Amino acid sequence: MWQKSPNHRALSEDEEKKALENAPSLRFRFILAGVLVIGIIAGLAINLIFDYSQKLADLSYDRLLRSALLQMDENVGLMRNEVSIDIPWSAFATLAQAEEDRVFYKVESLEQGFITGYQDLDSQPPQPPVLDQIQFYNQEYSGEMVRFAWVQRHITDPETAQTVRIILGQTRLSREQMASAVTQKAVEVVVFIALVAITLIIIGSHLVLRPLHRIERALEERAMGDLTPIDINTPKETHHLKVAINHFMERLQSNLEQLENYTADAAHQLRTPLASLRALAENARDNTSPERQHQALENIVKQCDALSQTVTLLLNQAVVSHRLQTHRLEPIDLLAPITASCREQAVAALHQGVLLSLDCDLKETLILGDAFSIQQMMQNLIENAVRYSREDVERGTEIIVQVSEFERFYRIKVIDYGVGIPDIEKERVFERFYRGRYDIAGSGVGLAMVKDIVDHHSARIQILDTEPKGTTFQVDFAKLRFNEDTV
Amino acid sequence: MKQFFFWLAVVVSLNATKLWATEPVWFGNENAQRILRINSAMDLASFEPILKKFVELHPDVRVAYRDVNTLELYYLTIKDQKKPEASLVISSAMDLHLKLVNDGYAQTYQSSFTDRLPSNFKWRNQLFAFSLEPIVMLVNKKAFPGVLPEDRQSLLQTIRQNEKAMTKRIGTYDIRQSGVGYLLASQDARQADVTWGRLLEAFGSHDVQTYCCTHDIIDDVASGKLVLGYNLLGSYASQRAQEDDRLKMILPKDYTLMLMRAALIPKGAPNEEDAGIFLDFLLSDQAQKMMQTQGLLFPIQPDMNNPNDPYVVNAPGPTGIIELDQQLLVGRDYAKQKRFIRNWEMALEISEED
Repeated sequence: MWQKSPNHRALSEDEEKKALENAPSLRFRFILAGVLVIGIIAGLAINLIFDYSQKLADLSYDRLLRSALLQMDENVGLMRNEVSIDIPWSAFATLAQAEEDRVFYKVESLEQGFITGYQDLDSQPPQPPVLDQIQFYNQEYSGEMVRFAWVQRHITDPETAQTVRIILGQTRLSREQMASAVTQKAVEVVVFIALVAITLIIIGSHLVLRPLHRIERALEERAMGDLTPIDINTPKETHHLKVAINHFMERLQSNLEQLENYTADAAHQLRTPLASLRALAENARDNTSPERQHQALENIVKQCDALSQTVTLLLNQAVVSHRLQTHRLEPIDLLAPITASCREQAVAALHQGVLLSLDCDLKETLILGDAFSIQQMMQNLIENAVRYSREDVERGTEIIVQVSEFERFYRIKVIDYGVGIPDIEKERVFERFYRGRYDIAGSGVGLAMVKDIVDHHSARIQILDTEPKGTTFQVDFAKLRFNEDTV
Repeated sequence: MKQFFFWLAVVVSLNATKLWATEPVWFGNENAQRILRINSAMDLASFEPILKKFVELHPDVRVAYRDVNTLELYYLTIKDQKKPEASLVISSAMDLHLKLVNDGYAQTYQSSFTDRLPSNFKWRNQLFAFSLEPIVMLVNKKAFPGVLPEDRQSLLQTIRQNEKAMTKRIGTYDIRQSGVGYLLASQDARQADVTWGRLLEAFGSHDVQTYCCTHDIIDDVASGKLVLGYNLLGSYASQRAQEDDRLKMILPKDYTLMLMRAALIPKGAPNEEDAGIFLDFLLSDQAQKMMQTQGLLFPIQPDMNNPNDPYVVNAPGPTGIIELDQQLLVGRDYAKQKRFIRNWEMALEISEED
């Protein structure tokens, strides 16, 4: 049987919408990730640009400042042993290229003191003074941040030597304007590129996901019951999805076929006993002798029991198959289901004059399995053994269930001394609805179910001959090993 | 800067007392709510019609106009920096005004009128020029010996040829007292150092007369006491030359200096809104046109349709526009200024105590 949605029903349009809203969107994730990455890159780029444009502006305008400072420096001289400076007009014409920036300066001599300029200007440079080396630095003056150039040099003539210091500064307006102009342009470009990239991602995501929509549409538009493979052309990336869908449909188809067969067979299996039931009932109706009538009714009851057994078996099989598909295997004690089924079957066997014994001296037998399924398996094996037991041979009514331990597995043997199974049939007994002998009641599904359960547990089943006569079913279950399998 | 201030303050204080006492002239409705105080280094004769027009357009504003000497104005603005009295300060000493802005005494103002102003007529949106006038020589035609000079060279020649007639009969600014006088002298020295040296020497050897103010020089030229006034503001000279047949205004052919009159709003000034409105009015087409048609001042962009208009500058030679930028600070450098004035005093053979 298949795994199914617990309460299958068509979703209403509203629910569908709601589900769609709540579902995570592949496209949204894709775009979000793209936008995030582009955003981070753009952010970094803009940060770099800010830094760079400041440096660039300072570099350009520091050249002006240096040039003006050197022009001033060139016009410093000694007159009658006193430092004097005649600031050239051109020095300030140079500075006037920064059109709107205020200019501050101070010329002083360490020996003579203040010479000209703004006396309250701080003439201490941030770096230790080095002769003839121009220093640039920002410092606040007159309520504004000012970029200063600073130089100090010796001036000597035969009679005197003095150290002259020139500080020349201009406000940062032009620098800021240039930096922001550069930044603005660059940021515009970066933002433009980022927007283009995001647009491409959005368009790309649409294109990439389009084949999925095509597959979706192809599936939606199908007629009910159409399980033929999808044959639309899709790109490589969705090829596997298409193949998977086609495989799935193939499996679905084979499952459906199996179900159809099963249903047909089950109907067939039920029809025979029903027909005989009807015959028996007619017999009972037509018979006038009360004795015979009673006999016929007795047969009907027997037939009903047999039918009920078949139905129970079919139901059990459905349950087992469901469990096998839905329940995970878990560590269980193998002996538990075995003893349970032996206990359950012992009485029924005795009714038929069969002696069932369990031969086991193991204490703990841990395997990975499903207890209910194993119990069903044991029940089927024991029922099968009971069914084929006979009274006319030695030990013919004896059934032994044996559990023994090997290094890697536990072995269960169900031994009977009945008629035995010819070698030709041994391979076919596990086929569904195969029945070795039609004179003995049975559904033909019991052993098939055993095989299903064994396969599901990755166990191994073998049919051996019992000496001198009879059949032994031998099932090996792997031991549960903690160190490897469960950890 | 303190020394600079101190030193100039000494010079100024000699002649300052009477200027500080000047009472303002009032315009407009006495009951007007708002009062706009203007400190200005400009003769009222050139400015009165503009002020009248302004109060006519803005009846709720009363204008107090105080005429102050250019150098005076500079110190007054610095002195009042904590609590300025004037809302607007107007001066022809561009260099001092620019220094005020550079040193942070002015506030920023921006309007559609200032935006329209070409960038070389304003600085930092704190200093705005509203007039551009030539610097001229004014001669008394009758009293002048020989041919009227057309440039500085010919003036020098005339002085040499007519030593007697020229002695004590040339007038110019006392650059120690007049801010604009200093500016013009320093620009002369910058434009043509050699010519300036010779001129100064000739002025010195012929006892040039020095004045604080333009109209005093013009009065003396008109009366014949002087034959020539050197480096006079074109607007005043042209106004008087039009009224007085004896006077002739000469734009020197070798180069004609062009001077701007500029206005600023002091930082923390009272009633800055009306100062802005007045500034906008000065820059408006209406006021600019008034300057030209009524012969008050030389507008920044004159109406060129009337080529014979004396208020359209028609210089015979190159014009040297004194640029409104940081270069002006060089002229006002403490050391340079000290040296320049000392040289001037030595050349003119006058001492500080004069």
